[in-house]
Amino acid sequence: MNSLTSQQRKLVYLGGILLLLIPIIYFGLPSGGKKTADGQTQSSGGRLAQLRQQYDLGESNLGDVDPSSVTMNLVLLGLRGIAVNQLWIQMDAAKDKKDWTSMLEATQSIVKLQPHFEKVWDFNGWNLAWNTSVEWDAVPDRYYWVKEGGKFMLQGVGRNEKSTELRFRAATIYQKKIGIADESIYFRKYFRVDPDTERWKNGPDTDFNTGPEGPYQAEGKDNYLVASDWYQAAVDNEQRWKIPLKQGTLDRTAFHSLPARCLFDYAQGLQKDGQFGEITREAWANALDSWINKFGREELFSVFGANAIPVKFVLEANEEEIAAMASTPEQEAMIRNAIDSFQKIVNYRYWRTRGMAEAEPETAQAHREFFEAGEAYKQQKWRDALPLVESAMKGFESMLARYPDLRIEDNTIEEAMLAVLMWNNIYKLEILGEGESLPQEFPLRTLWQENQGRMPEIEREFRLRYLTQAGQ
Amino acid sequence: MSQPGAAAESVIDIRNLTKVYRDFWGRKKVRAVNALTLDVKKGEVFGLLGPNGSGKTTTLKMLLGLLFPTEGEITILGKSASDVSKNERIGYLPEESYLYRFLNAEETLDFYGRLFNMSAAKRRERTEMLLDLVKISHARKRQLKEYSKGMTRRIGLAQALINDPDLVLLDEPTSGLDPLGNRDMKDLILDLKKQGKTVLMCSHLLGDVQDVCDRIAILYGGELKVLGRVDELLRSQDSTQILSSKLSDGAIKEIEAVLKKHGASMQKVDHPTANLEDLFLKTVQESRERPGRRFTVDDQPKSPPAKV
Amino acid sequence: MNFDLPAVNLPYAITQWAGFFLGFLIVVGIVSLLTSLSVYGTRGVAALAGGVVQGIIDLFSLSPRRLSALASLTFKEAVRRKALLVFVVFAVLFMFAGWFLTGGVETQKDFQAKVYISFALRTMTWLLLPLILLLSCWGIPEDIRQRSLHTVVTKPARRLEVVLGRMIGFGMIGTLILAVMGAVGYIWIIRQVPASEQHQLICRDPLFGKLEFLDREGGKGLGVNVGDRLDFRSFIEGATKARAIWTIENVNESILHSNNCFQLESRFEAFRTHKGDFKRTTYFQYTLANPDNPAINVPLSLIKIDEFRNNANFVTVGPTIQLADAEGKPLSNAAPPAEANKDFFKDLVSKDGKIQVQVACIDPGQYVGMSRVDFFFRKPDKPFAVGYAKSLIGIESLLLLVVFLGVAASTFVKGPVATFLTACIILVGMFGQGFMDELIKAPEIGGFTGGGVFESVYRIVTHMNPTTELPAGPAFFIMQWVDYLLKLYLWSVRYYIPNCEHFMRMPEFVANGFDVLWAESLLPAMLVTLGFFIPCVFIGYFSLQSRELESK
Repeated sequence: MNSLTSQQRKLVYLGGILLLLIPIIYFGLPSGGKKTADGQTQSSGGRLAQLRQQYDLGESNLGDVDPSSVTMNLVLLGLRGIAVNQLWIQMDAAKDKKDWTSMLEATQSIVKLQPHFEKVWDFNGWNLAWNTSVEWDAVPDRYYWVKEGGKFMLQGVGRNEKSTELRFRAATIYQKKIGIADESIYFRKYFRVDPDTERWKNGPDTDFNTGPEGPYQAEGKDNYLVASDWYQAAVDNEQRWKIPLKQGTLDRTAFHSLPARCLFDYAQGLQKDGQFGEITREAWANALDSWINKFGREELFSVFGANAIPVKFVLEANEEEIAAMASTPEQEAMIRNAIDSFQKIVNYRYWRTRGMAEAEPETAQAHREFFEAGEAYKQQKWRDALPLVESAMKGFESMLARYPDLRIEDNTIEEAMLAVLMWNNIYKLEILGEGESLPQEFPLRTLWQENQGRMPEIEREFRLRYLTQAGQ
Repeated sequence: MSQPGAAAESVIDIRNLTKVYRDFWGRKKVRAVNALTLDVKKGEVFGLLGPNGSGKTTTLKMLLGLLFPTEGEITILGKSASDVSKNERIGYLPEESYLYRFLNAEETLDFYGRLFNMSAAKRRERTEMLLDLVKISHARKRQLKEYSKGMTRRIGLAQALINDPDLVLLDEPTSGLDPLGNRDMKDLILDLKKQGKTVLMCSHLLGDVQDVCDRIAILYGGELKVLGRVDELLRSQDSTQILSSKLSDGAIKEIEAVLKKHGASMQKVDHPTANLEDLFLKTVQESRERPGRRFTVDDQPKSPPAKV
Repeated sequence: MNFDLPAVNLPYAITQWAGFFLGFLIVVGIVSLLTSLSVYGTRGVAALAGGVVQGIIDLFSLSPRRLSALASLTFKEAVRRKALLVFVVFAVLFMFAGWFLTGGVETQKDFQAKVYISFALRTMTWLLLPLILLLSCWGIPEDIRQRSLHTVVTKPARRLEVVLGRMIGFGMIGTLILAVMGAVGYIWIIRQVPASEQHQLICRDPLFGKLEFLDREGGKGLGVNVGDRLDFRSFIEGATKARAIWTIENVNESILHSNNCFQLESRFEAFRTHKGDFKRTTYFQYTLANPDNPAINVPLSLIKIDEFRNNANFVTVGPTIQLADAEGKPLSNAAPPAEANKDFFKDLVSKDGKIQVQVACIDPGQYVGMSRVDFFFRKPDKPFAVGYAKSLIGIESLLLLVVFLGVAASTFVKGPVATFLTACIILVGMFGQGFMDELIKAPEIGGFTGGGVFESVYRIVTHMNPTTELPAGPAFFIMQWVDYLLKLYLWSVRYYIPNCEHFMRMPEFVANGFDVLWAESLLPAMLVTLGFFIPCVFIGYFSLQSRELESK
């Protein structure tokens, strides 16, 4: 070497560098991160990157990578914990001051620093959708913040592709916040037609009204259907990656029942909205089908006894199937036990009965007649309402005759009692003359007498529905 | 060179100056200067000598107000050492160059000129003059951090003279300079004296001091040991030196007899040697004039050069 | 806005400052006297007196040329030390600001301008602060260490000029960088905010008033707390005699807009005790009244609350007083009664320019919440650049404060210590005001009970209740006195540390679309900086003067 001139030495070094670049690139090229159709990240990049994909070690395996997130984490040089602590404090302080922008900024920064910490997405999504929305007065503003929470949760799903928990939480927002909140009438309406008509052109906000596979067609779907899709995605995710819900969130069987339950909620929602007829009946039928043929046929398992013996069972199993599943009488007893308790947990039999009842055309007809009677009643057209309500009462009675289980079900009782009360009122107001009294025999008489204890609530509900202005 | 008479005024008057360094607890650590009393007359070149640690730099810094005396008084140009206005007539060349390294030569001189409240025109004029004097006009736009040691000393000297001071204080002016620079510095000091300025210099390079100073003080351990005029102090009273043209051996013998007749003895007879400094300067000058000529063993100086 | 700011009382502020400065001088004087006595013995008094006289002489022999020389030296030093690299960091941050700011989820349209403005102003402040801090705290110590200051002080440069020159130099470089960043930031904001939201870039010029509450029977009250953790807004009950009454002064023609209307703006909150009708938001009503004779009043039509946004309504002045919305269409929720035929300025505004505005909530069972700053007369808007420039002046004041403190600190301690000292003062001044106030609050108004340090230790060890009296005795007397002195010390620390909260508030004004108020925000901020100028120069000069530059 010493005999080479400076120039020659430089060339040798350069050559050495170029030579070394080859194995460096071969081994160290980072992955491009492109995804194939089934959501798997494509194998690309150098040997190490490929191995990372193969053994599921890379961050891009967890979900999409946000470059600013990586940058921020790098810049903090390990002080991420302290920075995040500070951000949580700031976020809370901003919430107290009702400074929503700062709160949202702090939230965004938190998830940038800890994108794979599920609880962060979970809590903040809930915070936005439930707590923040309630602080606002106008309903469109409340809805905006529910959407913020939902979109936030969806972002979390994108960042954590194997998360069962986040899909579950996203579904809860669709099901519970939009469906059961006090403002649910408005929320459900806004879900189909966003209040920001300028932006969404009288359609839904497709960033929010979107499914696990991607956006729906332009009109979006009903919130319960979207919830059902997301619950199903959570269940699928659990089964694919064997990642269950966090302990304490929800029993696994109950969790698996949720996709079908949401379909029931959908059907009920249609009824509440005043939609009757074939659509509703079909919704009930779909829900029933999903309940008994999809969920009912699913192989579930649990552990029993002090020795924690694992048991596999199927909720919709009949006698022969149970006998076939068991190898010993003890096991058969355990399976029966399991089926019984879990059916109770998810209220399996009730929904089956209800679904069957509602799927029948006669029941749908009875519902519709009752609804129309109510509409006429509100307008004080007693004469029009009377035949409708009587027909409805007959329809209910025959349904109850076929499905006696429903006699003790609250919703059915309420509807029936309201019908009878309406019928009573119409008689008192219009039909009966001086000194006349109600007919002794009428449909649903036994039910009426059985449930006299509920009269105060029934009367209040009646007033609420038919005597005051809508929604006041 | 004009002899300052006894009636010449004192430019610097130091009375009983003492400096004691104390540590944090107030205990005495070092007595750097002890009861120093001396004065510097106008128009003379005064040398403050002593080994390292003798207190000469401390004294100088107390003169400038950078340190406060523990006891004693200092009067410079009629004012106290801590009076900032005395600095109008003083120039100071520190031992190391304590200048702002991010400025270039022009900016440096301009800056210090402004500190003297000089007008822009005057500053320009002085800057040009001084840059020529210390011969760094060619590097006037370069930042000081790129200067060599000799160039740094020269620009330091330039800023010391920016205000045409009456009193110039030099701390180790010739240390670290090559013989050419050394010669230039000494010439400059003598030039300053010719202009009627007073120069006080600290040094431990005795040869240089001997060449330029009129009076010297020797310090040791913070105390004044010797004070007086150079020629008086160094003159050997015991012998006489005679320089003559070339003598034959017989003539030398005769002279020795004459000396004996007068009661003196002949102590030394030989050829006077030339000054190494002169040889060096001559060689450098010749090399400049005739580049490429190499020295060979046969070369001898044709005749001893005249003493400068 | 979620904060209330009292206007600064200038004469009181100046007398307070003078008092504190005097106290500071006394303490410094005593300390210096003791020090010089111990170092120089009996000559100490003369030395100190000489020093003071010297100081006064130096003050009058300041030379502008020398000052400018030192200032421009400082400036050049900063530039050649590559201080301007901060622009690179600035550019990088702004280029990637888009990533950090929006990150996928879109900000509500109404708040977009706020986000961008906050970001720009905050970035500028937090980039410049460390830079100026480091520059000012290391300037003089480095000079002394490298001994380049020796060369300067052996010229006729006064120490005072050195200190002042450094301060001016650092101030200049800070101002220059801020000016460039400010211009770039302004252009960036204008470009980032989408065209539809450009209307948010304005500066409201509010006329605030004093707020009082009436409770539900109509007597004086405090308003209701509906359960918020922060007691910022108080609520009035709907459909009762509860009212929120603003008395606004200085009402004259300057409040009128071009269309002969004046504008009321509010930011009330609504609280429902029952859900009510969702389609209908909560309503409230304004009533304009003459404060001298409240019987002369004009109720205006009902307005619905649009929470967390600024609700602007116009009121026409003149024969018929009527309420209109922002576009000028009259609100017709309730027909204005006959009393509307009054002249605003003649009948309703009192002789000394005051007007009363009452707010009532209409819906039974609901509440409307307000704080003093939630309602104001909106005078004609100023352009965005005005408020933005004012907040830049605020940042400039903060930087100057850092320069003053930093240079002063650097004259008596070394670079790192000076940095730490100045940084602590500034940070405590920014974030610790509330904490310090809590510490010194008297027990009667909500402070800590149970005495100071030693008394508390005693109480803890003996398990004594905070409200029990201490036993009598000389030891306890001494204990209480020591605690009292310590508390006095705490109190003085709290008041000597600059109140930097004013600086923090200014970006919030601009971001929320308000002009930076003069008496409430800009003036106090500038006063803080100004108030520290003289003490810092004083400290800097005397530290440098009494210091032996040669001993390190």
